[in-house]
Amino acid sequence: MQRRDFLKISAAGGAAAALEGCGNPDHQLIRFIPEEDLLPGIATWKPSICTLCPAGCGTLVRVMQGEAEVVRNGQLGILKMGLAKKIEGNPAHPINQGKLCPRGHAALQVTYHPDRIKTPLQRTGNRGSGQFKEITWDEAIKQLVSQLSALQASKEQGRLALLASPLRGERRTVLNNFAAGFKSAPPIEFEFFDNRVLQSANLQSFGHASLPTIDLGQSNYVISFGADFLGTWNSPVAQSVGYGHMRKGRPGQRGKFVQVESRVSQSGASADEFIACPNGVEGMFALSLAHVVLRDKLRAGDAAGHAGSLIDGWSQGLPDHAPEKIEKQIGVSAATVARIAHEAAAAGPAVVLIGDAATAQTNGLFNALAVNALNALLGSVGKPGGLSFGAGWSEPPASAAAGKGAADSIQKLVAQLQSGSDAARVLLLFNANPVFGTPAAWGVHDALGKVPFIASFGSFIDETSALADLILPDHSPLESWLDDVPASGSARTVVSLAPPAMNPLHDTRSMPDVLLDVAHQLGGDPAKALPWKTYDEALKATFTTLYIEKGSQTAKDPDEFWKKAQEQGGWWSADEKTPAPAVGKFSGSPAKIPAPQFDGAPEEFPFHFLPFASQMFYDGSLAHLPWMQEAPDPLSSVMWGTWVEINTRTAEKLGVKMGDTVEVASAHGKLQAPALVTPAIAPDLIAMPIGQGHENFTRYASGRGANPISILAPMTVESTQSLAWAATRVKVSRVGEGKIVMFGASMDETPASTKHR
Amino acid sequence: MAHQWGMVIDLDRCTGCEACVVACHAENNISTVGEDQAARGRAKHWIRVERYYEGEFPDVKTKFMPVLCQQCDAAPCEPVCPTFASYHTIEGLNGQVYNRCIGTRYCANACPYNVRFFNFYNPVWDKPLNLQLNPDVSVREVGVMEKCTFCVQRIKASEIQASSEKRDVKDGEIQPACVQSCPTKAMVFGDLSDPQSEVSRLARSNRATKLLGELGTLPKVTYLQRDSWHAGEDS
Amino acid sequence: MILGVIVLTGAILGRTMPADDSSTASQPAAQTSPIFTTAHRTVGDAVREFFGTRTKPVQPIAYTHKVHLANGMQCTDCHVGVDQGPDARIPSVNFCMTCHQVIATDKPEIKKLAAYRARGEDIPWQRVYGFEPSAHVKFNHAPHIRAGVDCAKCHGDMHTQTVAERKVDHTMGFCVECHRQNNASVDCVTCHF
Repeated sequence: MQRRDFLKISAAGGAAAALEGCGNPDHQLIRFIPEEDLLPGIATWKPSICTLCPAGCGTLVRVMQGEAEVVRNGQLGILKMGLAKKIEGNPAHPINQGKLCPRGHAALQVTYHPDRIKTPLQRTGNRGSGQFKEITWDEAIKQLVSQLSALQASKEQGRLALLASPLRGERRTVLNNFAAGFKSAPPIEFEFFDNRVLQSANLQSFGHASLPTIDLGQSNYVISFGADFLGTWNSPVAQSVGYGHMRKGRPGQRGKFVQVESRVSQSGASADEFIACPNGVEGMFALSLAHVVLRDKLRAGDAAGHAGSLIDGWSQGLPDHAPEKIEKQIGVSAATVARIAHEAAAAGPAVVLIGDAATAQTNGLFNALAVNALNALLGSVGKPGGLSFGAGWSEPPASAAAGKGAADSIQKLVAQLQSGSDAARVLLLFNANPVFGTPAAWGVHDALGKVPFIASFGSFIDETSALADLILPDHSPLESWLDDVPASGSARTVVSLAPPAMNPLHDTRSMPDVLLDVAHQLGGDPAKALPWKTYDEALKATFTTLYIEKGSQTAKDPDEFWKKAQEQGGWWSADEKTPAPAVGKFSGSPAKIPAPQFDGAPEEFPFHFLPFASQMFYDGSLAHLPWMQEAPDPLSSVMWGTWVEINTRTAEKLGVKMGDTVEVASAHGKLQAPALVTPAIAPDLIAMPIGQGHENFTRYASGRGANPISILAPMTVESTQSLAWAATRVKVSRVGEGKIVMFGASMDETPASTKHR
Repeated sequence: MAHQWGMVIDLDRCTGCEACVVACHAENNISTVGEDQAARGRAKHWIRVERYYEGEFPDVKTKFMPVLCQQCDAAPCEPVCPTFASYHTIEGLNGQVYNRCIGTRYCANACPYNVRFFNFYNPVWDKPLNLQLNPDVSVREVGVMEKCTFCVQRIKASEIQASSEKRDVKDGEIQPACVQSCPTKAMVFGDLSDPQSEVSRLARSNRATKLLGELGTLPKVTYLQRDSWHAGEDS
Repeated sequence: MILGVIVLTGAILGRTMPADDSSTASQPAAQTSPIFTTAHRTVGDAVREFFGTRTKPVQPIAYTHKVHLANGMQCTDCHVGVDQGPDARIPSVNFCMTCHQVIATDKPEIKKLAAYRARGEDIPWQRVYGFEPSAHVKFNHAPHIRAGVDCAKCHGDMHTQTVAERKVDHTMGFCVECHRQNNASVDCVTCHF
């Protein structure tokens, strides 16, 4: 008997029963009439905008016809519709120039996530129990309107709080107008990596409360203090494009890249020279570089202008920062400092960056001011190969409508809720997750629990929206009208615009449209503040005012302009704008760089603790995407988990081996995670990626790993309200054997042919 | 003469960001296997970024190297396949015919680059994540070996487009998903049989090396080694 | 050998475990499973493929190709896109109704058609041709049309068919023979990727 025949006979017995039921429409789901006229198998590319981080990259979405199981009018059926299949960078977009980071690709999974909230929900169980029931949009909006009307009736409009992840463009306008029309406090913005410290320093030094746009492509010398500018900081794709050009885009000319930090970050890994430097002394280091430049007359002393005048001792040539005097403090030899200063001054154009942990010290603001002064001294501000400000969006001044004592930060909101005076009675939540993103010591979870009514507009249940009484799920970004004004990344002024790339999959509604609807139902001032019928009408009214400006498209009238901009993905100015440098706003005496403060006594807590942005999860808001979970971290190769980085020699002393479970404890909490023993971290430092440790964030992220933010000390950066997230000290102990999942863990050592030249 | 597709990866540009890794997952319907299977070494990444440390802190040197199927001209995976599922295509790719594959995994054992991945289970997508699947690419089932194809679906689409316009494929017209997404433009793809193509030009660089070239596998991926400051060479 | 049998049957049955989904209990489990896997949707599909048999599709409406073609219509009037990309469009109920709003409205099959539209449903046409996912074939119509291959070469003479039937068996031998005759590529990755 032939093998195949034998197999057939064996298989036939158990299978005969299952044969009926196919190829017959009676046994299948009903099919809804398609709403779109698409050709099968043919892709169309629709411009969109990536919303997963504040960089604001322009994208193209590949849309093809597919069959989706959807619920329409309460009935499950199959609908042929245009489905997003792939996201690429938009080559025409000035920020990312056709390129994308790993997170941007995974934005697709936000739309198709199995745990996306599909209909409005009303809480049925206890707060945080996760028990909700499905309700209709009419009911949901009625509930919200009645809560808001009650506030109006009792003249307690100030007790409405809006808590949002930072928004730009027209969504920001809608939110602000809603708050203003309702006479509540302006929206409170929260995100973990808020870069407020750097914005504040840039306002003082250069008069622009924004992040710098860095012209890496034309730079010959790049010094970065802690900024992971090729990974997650500022506008990473724009910076990576520039970096590639700096390295190999100019025949015969290759820029040098020096990274200064205490742990080799993903950016630090690509540096030509890595300089180890303890956390908190970056400003001193920068000033000692400036000292050498001034001492050796590599630049004129007054070149730094206003930015230099903010630094104590600048006019005297920074005598306190002579490399010989401070080499012990900054842990870098005087000879190295002098060499770097001379190299940078000679190579020109040179640019100095600062970000991430260097600005998250208690003295972070001063570190940033020192780097700003150094940049000004080197002549890097507003010049090719340097950095520029002001082409993009910048922080507008605090709204005048903010009443006295209104909560303008999450800390104040929490304090009010804890004391009970003027505390919020209704809270609207827009995608911010402060319960995950703040230290447990801030008490955000318990404080928000005291708000009588919380409505969330997010698409997922997370640690914060789990507290909501009502959920009004937003469309996914690919299903929404999008607009954005990126803060940095291009010397052009960029206003991105995109219509929905696909129709909504679920019974969701666009957040701004819901707010418009609510405002109109409330009537009176809220309705007047939001006079538009739909969000795209509001967007068109604002956007088309640009059409007289000289830019990426010419149009005969606003309507044509609106249409062309949608096809291109926005509008950008024709000229690269280089605003006049050094028009800083600062009054007061020049800053002396203070020593960094750390929480925890060194005797009890011998290690500095460095949480860092994860390449895949950013601030933890992307941990729900399976592609991000399974992508190996570029440095550790860890998948589906978290880790604690410990220096090889330190681990030896502690008796910790790769993969052992260790306990990391600060004065404010403790956590357990597997150890990753690595040579790429300072011996007195313990580092952990941010992103895992979600208690409640979809099936893929919940209960996985530990959250380093939770054990941070409630320290703030001096002169700001920002969390000094790199100012905590910890102790570490081995708990026992553990597990760490790494890709390619069994692969060979360095193949001979790939060694460094 | 038939095209000979090849790639150049400039390690002086690569920053290890892994945009290529996720772009590849999205383009090629690579399923995620979950934590337990990943712990057993069954995660599938057609392209990965290898990271090497040399030295001790603070004098630690780090290097990234993206590794994907090298599309060898003398491929160790091909002769060991008993069903000819691994075979050499006319255009020089190491083809993998899923229909023929019976899952002996001989090819994965033979491959010195660890770039072949076996489906230990049927891939699973929690609905509606299945809607992300690219209709231009097969979804591989249990028992089948899979690996980088140089995005053959994109190659075929461009060739069909070019033939409909009665012309040859232009240099740079075909971009595999990894190449298209690479923010630093570290990856270049093209026809090695055309000496004028960008990929041919770069492959002649004096920084060019082949991964494990000493094995005689004749890879069609060329790596340009990390450079140092002020080397000032033209490439 | 015996082990091989166990493994194989295990694989067939294993890939078709219907997942529990109580929220949509009114629907057949195989269609509304909360997960999607490849290869075969049901045990039946797997067995049919194994034996190389395909069930005859039951069409919801007895559409007659013969009559439409006799009235002077072209294939591409309805099957738009066949010369542009991989697939030809199967028209939606709305497309049919552009004519049948007024034509032959008294016929029973047209009444069925109108009823679908009145209910807001599309017509659940059943596939006649097409490759199973496990065939790993990425067929593209457009180059065949451009090469002048007549529709009838692969689909039979539709002028003589009422409801479409599988007149031509799309085996690999059928494809390769024609490719060889026309000097088209027979490299595996021409179709399998």
